[in-house]
Amino acid sequence: MTAAARLRITGGTVYDPANGVDGVVRDVCIEGERIVADLPAGAPRLDARGMIVMPGGVDIHAHVAGSSVNHARRLLPEEHAADPVPGDAIRRSGTGGTLPSTFVTGYRYAGLGYTTAMEAAVAPLAARHAHAELDDTPILDSGCFVLLGNDDYLLRQIATGEATRARDYAGWLLGVTRGYAIKIVNPGGVARWKGGGSERNVTGLDDPVGSSAVTPRKILETLAGAANALALPHPVHVHCNNLGQAGNAATTLESMQAVAGQRAHFTHLQFHSYGGARGKEWKSAARDVIEYVNGHPEVSVDVGQVMFGAATTVTADSPVEYLLHSSTGRKWVNVDIELETGCGIVPYAYKEKAAVAALQWAVGLELFLLARDPWRVALSTDHPNGGTFLSYPELIRLLMDRAYRDDRLKGVNQKLLAGSALLDGLAREYTLSEIAIITRAGPARLLGLTSKGHLAPGADADVTIYANEPDRAKMFATPRHVIKAGTLVVEDGQLRRAPAGRRLSVRPEHDRAVTRDLKRFFDDYACVSFENYGAEPVA
Amino acid sequence: MTSGRTVAHVTCLGCGCACDDIAVVVERDRIASLENACPLGQTWFGDGTVPEESRVRGRAGSLPRALTEATKLLKGAGRPLIYLAADVSCEAQRETVAIADRLRAVLDTWAGESAAGGVLAAQRRGRAGATLGEIRQRADVIVFWAVDPADRYPRYVSRYAVEPRGLEVPEGRKSRTVIAVDVGPSRGPNDADARVAIAPEDEVDALGVMRATVQNRWGGNDARFQPAAELARRLMQARYVALVADGEPGPAPSDPDRAEALVALAQALNGPTRCALSTLRGGGNRAGADQVLTWQTGFPCAADFARGYPEYRPHAGAAALLAAGEVDAALVVGAAASIPEPVAGSLGRVPTVVIGPRASAAPFPAAVAIDTGVAGIHEGGLAFRMDDVPLPLRPVLAGPRAAAATIHALREALEP
Repeated sequence: MTAAARLRITGGTVYDPANGVDGVVRDVCIEGERIVADLPAGAPRLDARGMIVMPGGVDIHAHVAGSSVNHARRLLPEEHAADPVPGDAIRRSGTGGTLPSTFVTGYRYAGLGYTTAMEAAVAPLAARHAHAELDDTPILDSGCFVLLGNDDYLLRQIATGEATRARDYAGWLLGVTRGYAIKIVNPGGVARWKGGGSERNVTGLDDPVGSSAVTPRKILETLAGAANALALPHPVHVHCNNLGQAGNAATTLESMQAVAGQRAHFTHLQFHSYGGARGKEWKSAARDVIEYVNGHPEVSVDVGQVMFGAATTVTADSPVEYLLHSSTGRKWVNVDIELETGCGIVPYAYKEKAAVAALQWAVGLELFLLARDPWRVALSTDHPNGGTFLSYPELIRLLMDRAYRDDRLKGVNQKLLAGSALLDGLAREYTLSEIAIITRAGPARLLGLTSKGHLAPGADADVTIYANEPDRAKMFATPRHVIKAGTLVVEDGQLRRAPAGRRLSVRPEHDRAVTRDLKRFFDDYACVSFENYGAEPVA
Repeated sequence: MTSGRTVAHVTCLGCGCACDDIAVVVERDRIASLENACPLGQTWFGDGTVPEESRVRGRAGSLPRALTEATKLLKGAGRPLIYLAADVSCEAQRETVAIADRLRAVLDTWAGESAAGGVLAAQRRGRAGATLGEIRQRADVIVFWAVDPADRYPRYVSRYAVEPRGLEVPEGRKSRTVIAVDVGPSRGPNDADARVAIAPEDEVDALGVMRATVQNRWGGNDARFQPAAELARRLMQARYVALVADGEPGPAPSDPDRAEALVALAQALNGPTRCALSTLRGGGNRAGADQVLTWQTGFPCAADFARGYPEYRPHAGAAALLAAGEVDAALVVGAAASIPEPVAGSLGRVPTVVIGPRASAAPFPAAVAIDTGVAGIHEGGLAFRMDDVPLPLRPVLAGPRAAAATIHALREALEP
């Protein structure tokens, strides 16, 4: 047996906010896959003098693998043709665009200094597919958020008041799908869309879904309660009703209040923070929404920033995609997924000169800049919905550099920006420590990943080393070195190694009696054998 | 093994339905009987016996020697063709794409040619679809467009679309209306509740008229198209329409205009009501090949790695490349018997390595042939149903060395 690989990163300026280290020159030592307190004098060294050292990046919400992502890839051959990525001795070839092939996804994330990414929407029926793609996504540690909240079995339990069984079902489902967290998308709305008939979505928290006992509010309460009762490392991860609608901030605040007092994560908050009335009078309501977040420590969010340029909207919120297809005329995929959820895809582009896109861009920045506790406000673009993960460095510059931000603001359509705090001149500039919080330390903590997002002894040896460039976009786009689980994957700006990543999953304790009832439901309605369902190996 | 045993919940790859409720009874290392399998499934499983040979230029040899010869042949090729055929798992498909990438080969699949029309239409427009189980739960009106699934997709009707009861269709068949659209000799099911006949030369136009009707844009009074317009109006009254069409009506490439018109109609019906287009596809894990190629390359078929990265060549498939003499060696992975004639007939023109079930009995001359098991009979792994639902495969018999492991060994031998 050979000794575990050792490396001493010397002389770098370390930002490790989880351990109270704010720009201190010190060594970081690695042995095997872990950070250690110290190493013998003769250990190999990596000279990081003058450079910035942070934990590896952690993306709390992105669409990177699985059935919806692959539907979207298949829809976009033109994007792939325009962005070929050659292979070499260590790299598989592939293609990029807004939805890169699996290998390219891993290489490009690592090339930005990210070492962990969570796939934010996995239909349980297709979990086996998501895991197969993640097996082909190198370097990144990853986990799957499993879609609940429009699934017929759950809605039945709510209709009959079986909250305990709903909790046991969620626990069982996370285990068999090798999932990490419970994801709710437009609770009840997708079920209505799939049900046919004239009611194609829900409009608020108290619309009945099938039964008068089942409402978005009840779904949120049930699943937030289940996630907390199951002691999951990450609470329920909520995509609210009315995504993208003018006036939806009221729904968002009601949703937060519906689970008040319980831990809950509200995702891509930007898409849910608009004032006005349905279909008109668009304006920013970022201030109201972030005020609530600021005052409620049990709530966390990621922003879902819109960045100008190409995007692809891909979501389980299929009724929203129908509307987007109808209004833009762009090509459109809809897939209703049996007994569980939906999938909708429309390619899109955000333009500075478009009024709504400019509003969305401003709302996201307002949320970041008005947030009081960066530990509860993670950086995301809802990749690739608001823009791709490749735009994170540009977003970081917007947050760190007021002059640059104000200059960009002048170039965007101002029509709907009245009332935006951004116009009042938000002076805040994020510090490097705050950036380290919103891109790694915070998301890791919100995910309950105790060995990620920090550099104390025992932590995973995921480390990113940046040149201290004054242009922060350039700095964060091209880290000098990236270490993943102790392996130097990016060296002097070049990808040198591409080891496999690890899968993060949970197996919550639950009452196994629920499987008897589930088997009956499968016998009555499912088109896949109970024994073949999920993502575990079969005998 | 002498006493009988039963393996339950086995997935059948006999057609794209990928029914996963098959019980396989094994006696004396053979499949003795099957429960729930349709005639296609019975044929696909057979008795489970497969040859277990490695051949080099027709003569039996050891597996290591065959792999060495295959490596030499492929390394020496200037422009190799890698061809994916039926009955291998996604694990084997993943290894195969890796070899194509390493060798800068041109990659095609046995499903590419016949389904290309539908694939390209979906890339232009998208799709309005559903998994088969959702059609079961929701569809109150099912239109079989020029197809009777009974022959090529035998359990589609009993297991998914028509007969079973669903959440919104509590009485199964009785709660649904089945409409057959007969396009020339391509007829819908005989027991449909209603029929509409359309002349083959009018088919694409009729689909256009239906779409225009759904969108309130058709005011024509051409008598030829009145039945189509009437059908469209009827569908608009449904709660949830399933439009069922054959994605691979024959070995010839499917008509891209027809495929696009079907997609466009299904999408348009989602204005006044809900609609899913169900595109029927064959077996052997072809949906898996689409998926694996898409996630590894960005393209669902016909990727050329000559420049060191995948380029999409949907109009230059294996048959054309072989006919034009553009490739100088071939690696076939999968069941050689599944390869369509224009490709199979040309493979003898170049030195060919075949790795897959019954490779030693390939219907064309093979420089190297290595038998493997059949995915889903002798090997486990991942496969996809026609509607892109992933399913596990369960081996029921011991067999030759697995295709995934064999291809992996070849891949390692090809590494520089």
